[in-house]
Amino acid sequence: MTPRTCLIVDDSRIIRKVARRIVEGLGFEVDEAADGSEALVFCAGVIPEVILLDWSMPVMDGMTFLRRLRALPGGLAPKVLFCTIETRAERIAEALLAGADDYVMKPFDGEILTSKFAEVGAV
Amino acid sequence: MTPDDFDRLQTLMASRAGFRLTRDRMKLAEHRLGPVARREGFETVDAMLASLWAKPVASLGWAVIEALLNPETWFRRDRDSFDTLARELLPALGKARGDRPVRIWSAGCSTGQEAWSLAIAAQEAHVAVEIVATDLSQRALEKGRSGAYTGFEIQRGLKAETMLRWFDQAEDAWIAKAELRAVVHFARANLADAPTDDHRFDVIFCRHLLGDADPARRRDMFDNLERRLVDDGCLFLGPDETPDGDSIAFRAVAGRKGLFVKSAAALRRAA
Repeated sequence: MTPRTCLIVDDSRIIRKVARRIVEGLGFEVDEAADGSEALVFCAGVIPEVILLDWSMPVMDGMTFLRRLRALPGGLAPKVLFCTIETRAERIAEALLAGADDYVMKPFDGEILTSKFAEVGAV
Repeated sequence: MTPDDFDRLQTLMASRAGFRLTRDRMKLAEHRLGPVARREGFETVDAMLASLWAKPVASLGWAVIEALLNPETWFRRDRDSFDTLARELLPALGKARGDRPVRIWSAGCSTGQEAWSLAIAAQEAHVAVEIVATDLSQRALEKGRSGAYTGFEIQRGLKAETMLRWFDQAEDAWIAKAELRAVVHFARANLADAPTDDHRFDVIFCRHLLGDADPARRRDMFDNLERRLVDDGCLFLGPDETPDGDSIAFRAVAGRKGLFVKSAAALRRAA
């Protein structure tokens, strides 16, 4: 069985490392990108099944990435989970409206991320 | 904490709460009792326990018991059970009960996530319900009744969409909306005690609790659940829990992990 794929997009190397460990534990093959632009280049090549996406990043932020991703051929397929320190209800609603499947407020842990993956049907 | 202290704690937990405090939880017990000792004005856990053994004050005894129960819970824990309830049982029960709301009991509700998850499932299925959520721990009940959860707690098990729909944001907390509060009632109850009234429920959720019960009390606890359940009602245990070996009052529903109905034996006894 080919492992399922997840792209982790975050400008913090530490967050990427923490998230990678959890997501790999769920049986995913993980790739990383440090901003929206890098992530977009990655997705132009191969579209992952799940994307864990930070909001505020240099070069291209998560919201811009999400809108461009959804316009790509096959870009509606991946489950996109925002994963950010932004916790205001209006901003969460805005992210869902823009096409995010779910939203993780930092700080998070393995149990939260696992339950989120389950709720969007990724595991 | 001495081994003798721990023996006494085991006896206290078994006799009052029907709870089996296993020996591997000695470190955990010490850790949990630290805050209780501070709150109750003792220098150390040892000092608190010495005082409790010398002069068993009920309020201190219960504060100790509460701290040693297993409070672990989260929203929509074992999601399949909530989906079975919302998609299959509630529509049928709602129709069968006609004008009266479907009565659900969250037995051993801890900090309330299960009760609110049940309320959300019912509201989204458009079925009128009355939910009674009970626990032995007053502190857990206070938290449940407040309906207020941290960002950390609220998102364990809830999709963001569900969170925004059913909870209001206030400062650092997410608080259950009035629509949910209207159907959930929290009260203290001890599952080890036999019912003293004849209030009965259509659905009982009692998950991840009986596994921690003192084996000698488990059968009584199952009997108490059976007496609280209407004859055509449903009992949900944790997906890996079963009454087998403790009780013949229930039988498993094939293909639905953790779902039980009354057995023929229980129905005959009622008749």
